[in-house]
Amino acid sequence: MDEQGCPRCKTTKYRNPSLKLMVNVCGHSLCESCVELLFVKGSGACPDCGTALRRSNFRLQIFEDALVEKEIDIRKRVLRDFNKKEEDFSSLKDYNDYLEMIETIVFNLSNQIEVDATKKMIDQYKKENKNHIRKNQSKMSRDEELLDALIEQEQQESTMRRMMTLEDEKREKAAKRKHKEALIDALMYQDRSAYDIINSHKEASQHEEVEAKRAAVTAFSTGIRIGHQNDIVPLAKLEQGQLYRYCPLIMEWMGPEPPTMDELYTDGYLKNIRSASDAERAGGFREALACHRALQDAMCGLFSYPPKAPSPGKLMTAGSSSSHSPMMIF
Amino acid sequence: MFSTSSQSKYWLFNGETELTFHRTEANEAYIRTRRGNRTDDEAKAYFLTPSEEKILSRQYEVVLCKFCSEFTPPMPRCVIGTSLAFFKRFYVHNSNMDYHPKDIMLTCVYLACKVEEFYVPIGQFVRNLRGDREKFADAILSFELTLMSKLNYHLTVHNPFRPLEGFLIDIKTRFKEISNLERIRRPAEEFIERSLQTDACLVFSPSQIALTSLMFGAAKEGVSLDRYLKDVLLKTATTREMEITMYQIRRVKFTVKGYEPVPREQAQAVQKKLDLCRNQENNPDSDVYKQRMLEKLDEEEDMRVKKRARLNDDK
Repeated sequence: MDEQGCPRCKTTKYRNPSLKLMVNVCGHSLCESCVELLFVKGSGACPDCGTALRRSNFRLQIFEDALVEKEIDIRKRVLRDFNKKEEDFSSLKDYNDYLEMIETIVFNLSNQIEVDATKKMIDQYKKENKNHIRKNQSKMSRDEELLDALIEQEQQESTMRRMMTLEDEKREKAAKRKHKEALIDALMYQDRSAYDIINSHKEASQHEEVEAKRAAVTAFSTGIRIGHQNDIVPLAKLEQGQLYRYCPLIMEWMGPEPPTMDELYTDGYLKNIRSASDAERAGGFREALACHRALQDAMCGLFSYPPKAPSPGKLMTAGSSSSHSPMMIF
Repeated sequence: MFSTSSQSKYWLFNGETELTFHRTEANEAYIRTRRGNRTDDEAKAYFLTPSEEKILSRQYEVVLCKFCSEFTPPMPRCVIGTSLAFFKRFYVHNSNMDYHPKDIMLTCVYLACKVEEFYVPIGQFVRNLRGDREKFADAILSFELTLMSKLNYHLTVHNPFRPLEGFLIDIKTRFKEISNLERIRRPAEEFIERSLQTDACLVFSPSQIALTSLMFGAAKEGVSLDRYLKDVLLKTATTREMEITMYQIRRVKFTVKGYEPVPREQAQAVQKKLDLCRNQENNPDSDVYKQRMLEKLDEEEDMRVKKRARLNDDK
């Protein structure tokens, strides 16, 4: 996506981070200062398309694509008139057709397709459904009602919570004061040592604090109650197999045992090979690796002797003469 | 590691006798399917005999080596070793008449390049050939999968080159009596290269070949490695293991020394015979082959059409 910017003064979001783009009904964006400059009188023409615009109709551009803004604008206007609800239709299909029609109108208007015909259609619809529109304007749809109810409920809850915390704080303060008084009383009238008394009081108050804390938080912000993990269905316990036991790799050399990696260093094998270059070392290569491999390869299979079992090759002869056919896999 | 490899498990044979047995079997199997109503004598005259097949294989091994040594970019020795091993393994269970060694040879080299991580794109590969390069490329690619399946996908080959390095390092470290050991390297390497022309890689382990090459090189330079063998390398080995090793070394020496290049005229005569009796289905130049390829293409096209139709139906 290109840098967002004002098409008139060419300021971009990069050069002026506080740039605010505004958009009007025609869908062409302008920055805030340009709007102020061009629409001093309160109305004027869009510098892009020449549509007559009013300054009061400018609003902040939320979406990067100005066309989307335009579409939202048009949709808002269209929906003001086309405000039938699902209850107004006899069948779901009719309602869907109606929604489809709205979409077509919005699309046509925002993409400049058959504007006149569409406008005419809207006017006609308006005329035909005058009463209906007015009636529905005052009525809220079920969705909106539900939303309102939700918001109301949330507000109630938040006030409740605030009240609770306030009360808690009050109670805590009172308790603290009481403690202090009790402590002073004890210091004044009891004949235990002052040190003991202070210590025991401290313990008691700490204990209480912990208790309070435990009581206070009973639910996460998501509404899941703390300490109620038992509600979660426990996972089926996996059948535990036998524990892994490490057994060292036993190499079958078929030859004398080659030196180990450590012996390469101690016995001076490495003196007899080219040492790795710095570049190779950087990649994690050490000359010992190559040396080790060569020695292993040298020792391995030295005692190999014609296989005792009948050669497995015999198994393959059956498929060997047929052309292009995959060989038997055994 | 060689001891657990497919090479040791599936591609080591008892010796020349067993190899001949398998090759004869492959030869007979081919003749059985193709002879029609020829009499024994006619068949013998028409088809290749096992010994003729061997001449042909040997001849093409030489060609393969020559091709590899002239290859640009120059290829590492292990590629040559691996491609020869592929070639030999392939003709243990297949007849020269079934698949022409000319095609298989190139495919072996191409596959070995890939296996030994010396990848050369096919376009660059065929630039090393004279003649219709596109045709060569087609043939190589079409035989590649067949070759792999016939090799049973046992593609890792252990060559004697690395063991040779290992022995050299070991001798330098543990047997310091020999001065200027590097002079052995040349004759030893020559020995290994010679061994590639024989069936040694189908009978012996790479370390045995390498050790023999070293002994050979040492003998040529007038050095004795017997004390190294006895006191250092096989110090911990049992008597039986020692005997096996010495026996195998003798056998390797015998096998490699017994190698004789095939006379050119003889090979050419066999090749002429082969042109008649080869399996035309596997000849990229033949009409039968082309016909079959076309059929295969049609089949694929059919499959695609069917698939598309099914997709459309689903919609």
